[in-house]
Amino acid sequence: MSKVVVITSGKGGVGKTTTSAAIASGLALRGHKTAVIDFDVGLRNLDLIMGCERRVVYDFVNVIQGDARLSQALIKDKQCENLYILPASQTRDKDALTEEGVEEVIDQLRQMDFEFIVCDSPAGIEHGAVMALTFADEAIITTNPEVSSVRDSDRIIGILQSKSRRAQKGDEPVKEHLLITRYSPRRVAEGEMLSYQDVQELLRIPLIGVIPESEAVLQASNQGMPAIHLKGSDVAEAYADVVARFLEEGSNEEVLAKRPLRFVDYEKPGLIKRIFGGK
Amino acid sequence: MSRMPAQSRDLEFRNAAMDVTIAVLHHTEPPRLADAMHKMMGGMPDFFDGEATVLDLGELAAVPDHIDWPGILSLFRRFCLRPVAVQNVPPELLEGLRQTNLAILPEGGLRNHPAPAPAPASAPVQQQLALTPPPPSAQQATTMIIDRPLRTGQQVYAQYSDIVLLCGSSSGAEIIADGCVHCYGPLRGRVLAGGSGNTNARIFTTNFGPEIVSIGGIYKTFEHGVPDSIAGKPVHVRLVTNESGQKLVIEPLRLN
Ligand SMILES: Nc1ncnc2c1ncn2[C@@H]1O[C@H](COP(=O)(O)OP(=O)(O)O)[C@@H](O)[C@H]1O
Ligand SMILES: [Mg+2]
Repeated sequence: MSKVVVITSGKGGVGKTTTSAAIASGLALRGHKTAVIDFDVGLRNLDLIMGCERRVVYDFVNVIQGDARLSQALIKDKQCENLYILPASQTRDKDALTEEGVEEVIDQLRQMDFEFIVCDSPAGIEHGAVMALTFADEAIITTNPEVSSVRDSDRIIGILQSKSRRAQKGDEPVKEHLLITRYSPRRVAEGEMLSYQDVQELLRIPLIGVIPESEAVLQASNQGMPAIHLKGSDVAEAYADVVARFLEEGSNEEVLAKRPLRFVDYEKPGLIKRIFGGK
Repeated sequence: MSRMPAQSRDLEFRNAAMDVTIAVLHHTEPPRLADAMHKMMGGMPDFFDGEATVLDLGELAAVPDHIDWPGILSLFRRFCLRPVAVQNVPPELLEGLRQTNLAILPEGGLRNHPAPAPAPASAPVQQQLALTPPPPSAQQATTMIIDRPLRTGQQVYAQYSDIVLLCGSSSGAEIIADGCVHCYGPLRGRVLAGGSGNTNARIFTTNFGPEIVSIGGIYKTFEHGVPDSIAGKPVHVRLVTNESGQKLVIEPLRLN
């Protein structure tokens, strides 16, 4: 059985595409056959972050419009055996993603035995974002620790609960996970940012992880490498934890007890570090 | 060119019920009203959304010689309300209303309290009860229960009934009940109890944090946040009437 996972947020620039690339890669690294779809028609960032932009011939919209077969448009990832990317097109026609077309592509991916189908949502609450979440079984609500991002996430959760197929058919609701990204424990300690506890208290959905703010993310995306491959970095480890928790059975408390949050506490730099800087 | 299917008449009239907001004016000077509206709506000039509004002149403190209608109408529009009619107009003021285009509703006007919807057909029982008060309608007997958190941008309206929120609400959500609001969990957003003028309605929550509360049309806003003494606490809101007017009272709720 395939599972469709949407990475969504309402707000732009919070780290959805970074997260989609990292989680899809992480699932594949753990041996699960995974496809990641870029729903951000017109912007197409995912292929850049996955480092496959030069290999794009056909895209999602070509498949929907019948100009290409799905197998022609899927790009095999260069690092992970089990990972395929379905890139977005450059078209400016945002309505090119029809509900029937998206459903057809997802059904075909199911028939191809993909275990996970990760949908990278565009920002906003308009057509593209709704298409990305319509077929979701689970949703990773990507949120930055600031009020406007929390507000937009709250709104998108409401949309998930009204517009997803599961909601429309009255099936079991889409399983929601809160992922807090670009988290800076120092800025939280200094009162410049909401704490992850604050964010969770406001949104009241289970927390799947906290990804620290890190310059490594930009470097990785410049190299076309998903952040989870940055061996030894905080971000890579935090994303690996998220993937592990995602695959874990059990309640949110059990999952977090087994694999506690990391990189969320601020340690004041000691004297030596303050004098000499660096690590 | 295609044509619409032939219809026997070119125009039809149908009866419909419409939701309107009734604004009961105690005074008519636009600056004074502007000040009052500003206080009620606080930092939220977009609290209303173009609702049709009936101006009720039946409770004026004194009947003025002259009313600045253009001023009043423009003020309401600025707060996103659309005056469509007036009701309970003192006879002296009828003349001045001529130029306004507002409909003048007949004697008695609209009732604040919606008439209960007809109960499901059960004629014998109704006859039997003819001398006792009418039975509560099916809607009145049904409390609306919301099992999921109410999110930003979502709105619920419990017509003729109470509402129970089992998972709280978010800021930017809107909860309206003709009866009471009961919330187990954080109560955030805009919370309106006694939606159609029921001043006995109350609001109960285990965790108080709304942007605005209203009972029977009397508002209190928290644009600078809820005071620490009640923020996040179990709270009970009711409307009290005393010699200085009507006032929302917010008190701690003892849970055990
Ligand atoms: N954990 C992080 N630390 C630092 N920068 C990040 C992090 N996650 C994302 N970014 C940066 O934020 C910007 C937006 O990220 P992106 O994944 O494209 O967001 P979205 O898809 O939500 O618009 C990018 O420049 C990205 O490099
Ligand atoms: Mg993106």
